[in-house]
Amino acid sequence: MRLPSGVVTVLAVVLNTGVGHAAPTPSQASPPPPLPPGVSATLWRLAVPPGSEPTPEKVALGEKLFREKRLSADNTVACMTCHEPELGFTDGKALSEGIGNQKVTRNSPTVLNALFNATQFWDGRAGTLEDQAKLPILNPREMGMPSPEAVVQKVRAIPEYAAEFKKVFGREVNYDDLAAAIAAFERMQFSGSARFDKFITGDAKALTASEKNGWALFNGKARCNSCHAGNAVSPLFSDQKFHNIGVAAHKQDFVTLARKGVQVVRTGDEKQIDELALQTEFSELGRFLVTKQENDVGSFKTPTLRNAGITGPYMHDGSLTTLWDVMDHYNKGGVPNPFLDGGMQRLGLTEPEVDDLVAFLFALTDTKFDKLNKEQLAKQRARRNNRPERDTEVAMGKKGNLGDLAPNPDLNVKNPADLGIYGDVTPVAPSTQSKPR
Amino acid sequence: MTLRMKLLVVPCAALSFAGGVALATSPATKPPPEPLPKHVVPASKDGNLVLGLCDGETSLEVEGVKDGQKLTREQAVRATSKLMDDWRKKNPDALWDDVPGPALAQATPPDAKKSPPPAPQPNPGSKPAGSAVQPGGVGAQSGAKAVPKQEQVNLQTGHTYGAYSERDEQVWADSTQAFVKEGHRVFHDAEALGGTVGVSCDMCHPDAANTHPETYPKYQVQLGRVALLRDMINWCIENPLRGKPLADGDPKMRAMEAYIYAQRKGTKLEYGKH
Repeated sequence: MRLPSGVVTVLAVVLNTGVGHAAPTPSQASPPPPLPPGVSATLWRLAVPPGSEPTPEKVALGEKLFREKRLSADNTVACMTCHEPELGFTDGKALSEGIGNQKVTRNSPTVLNALFNATQFWDGRAGTLEDQAKLPILNPREMGMPSPEAVVQKVRAIPEYAAEFKKVFGREVNYDDLAAAIAAFERMQFSGSARFDKFITGDAKALTASEKNGWALFNGKARCNSCHAGNAVSPLFSDQKFHNIGVAAHKQDFVTLARKGVQVVRTGDEKQIDELALQTEFSELGRFLVTKQENDVGSFKTPTLRNAGITGPYMHDGSLTTLWDVMDHYNKGGVPNPFLDGGMQRLGLTEPEVDDLVAFLFALTDTKFDKLNKEQLAKQRARRNNRPERDTEVAMGKKGNLGDLAPNPDLNVKNPADLGIYGDVTPVAPSTQSKPR
Repeated sequence: MTLRMKLLVVPCAALSFAGGVALATSPATKPPPEPLPKHVVPASKDGNLVLGLCDGETSLEVEGVKDGQKLTREQAVRATSKLMDDWRKKNPDALWDDVPGPALAQATPPDAKKSPPPAPQPNPGSKPAGSAVQPGGVGAQSGAKAVPKQEQVNLQTGHTYGAYSERDEQVWADSTQAFVKEGHRVFHDAEALGGTVGVSCDMCHPDAANTHPETYPKYQVQLGRVALLRDMINWCIENPLRGKPLADGDPKMRAMEAYIYAQRKGTKLEYGKH
């Protein structure tokens, strides 16, 4: 792994120049492709480094590679095995499976809108899509290739790829170009166009009364917006930070695990972190594996809520099956542990309120997945009475820490969803891109 | 404290308590507030449209346009600048910044290619006042490889909520600018403002000049009471623009406040100043 570190330095410099200039001249930044409502031109500008804009050729090659099982050691697993486009770029499983049906210790996150993530993976161990794409191919439990060199050798031996890499990149197959092509494909997987976006642009009928109430609760009593705030400029509904919400706390002794972890983790070694994260008990240390900072123990990245309805099961370990379970988890203030995020407190949500929140979350799905969204909603609703995470006594403050409950908003006085502005989600037309940004 | 003083304190406390109750209950018995004064413009002999200025006194008959007709942008700009000239002649000593009049081209949305950039219009993506974007923090480069380089930087240490990245600050800045931009649109758009005569705010206040948001709250002679900026925005909508006032929470009202304040970035707050 000598080569990539140099590449990353170059990339970092490119990124720096991209982000550092507050207003790059229009000629430097090529305009984004036409973005649907609910996808932000600002995030595009922040997330797509100059020079990494997807070109149709790179995207086509990237898609082919994304679907290519021969990138795995035994030709059985492709990227799409765990990120199935038809399933909202997830696998629908709690924990993903690689070659030889080996399970990893993490849930497969969606590729939809992953291009806008500040960091990749649940623990942010990769800074870019390119960096991310390289790791699963080499992980022994995922695609199991022994080394980047072995991957390159294998791909070079496939004539169609040898020719296509020449055509697209003008040189022999190499690992960086392979990752760049996959990243280019992933950069086109932006997703908006949810019913919510229709609602926020003024179509009051786009959401049901229950969903609207869910949106109010989201911004008020349920306090989802503490970490999942969204607006037109940042429509992911994620702060892209890392929080310990206690998901793994019931099966881990974090203190002991962290003490052991300190001795094992070599900070900055992506390959080692990748293997610890997917194959060992240390997986549950989350962001700590990357930073070795005590306060990052058991913390994981706030995922986007867009398309949440179709990308379950939930949490980094897929341990929560339905969005009802997720609401139950937050309603009781998470699972107590020494590293629990200070924002985690009981919410005191009633059953109808939980239903409204779930209904709202299902309205964040891209309408192109309408059918799948309806199926998933029906499936999850069928489990509505099977609620392993529910603890009404704690949620309602009859037991345990009372916490400080957010006020129950009176929607006739003030709807918390109306505070401030969400902004105009109408996409920026390409013609207006010429003005200085 | 002597006993006598204590004895004195008790009735005082009781009195003030009673007073408090009286104060708290009085609004219920208060008569409904008087309607706000309105600028009544003199009627035209020929039935022409008469425009009022926001001072509540000056007015102008627009020849060739009947009452009830809407002015074109060009007519409105010409009429309002005439009104402003009249007012300036009447009030040569008034505190008023000389600014170039509204360009006709401003009627086109700020995005349109040909519009000249309005003078101090901040660009989307620029940073609002006092937010120097700090390099470092949890950002695109905070993957595993970047961590050793960031050991001493503003990494997510101590608590998650303090670690903000350049990306965060760009999102904040652009979100704010979007709000300001929407205000700019409404301010320049007679339709959006809901007026009935084709006049928009920018015609007397190019680039929000002379709106002086930093001087509110202050006594407004036209209203005969102390006003907030939004009250004066509504005065202008009701009188010169002949529209219906916006609710305090109306998104258009809030966007215009955002725009007007943004235009006065760096100005010292001086409530009550005239």
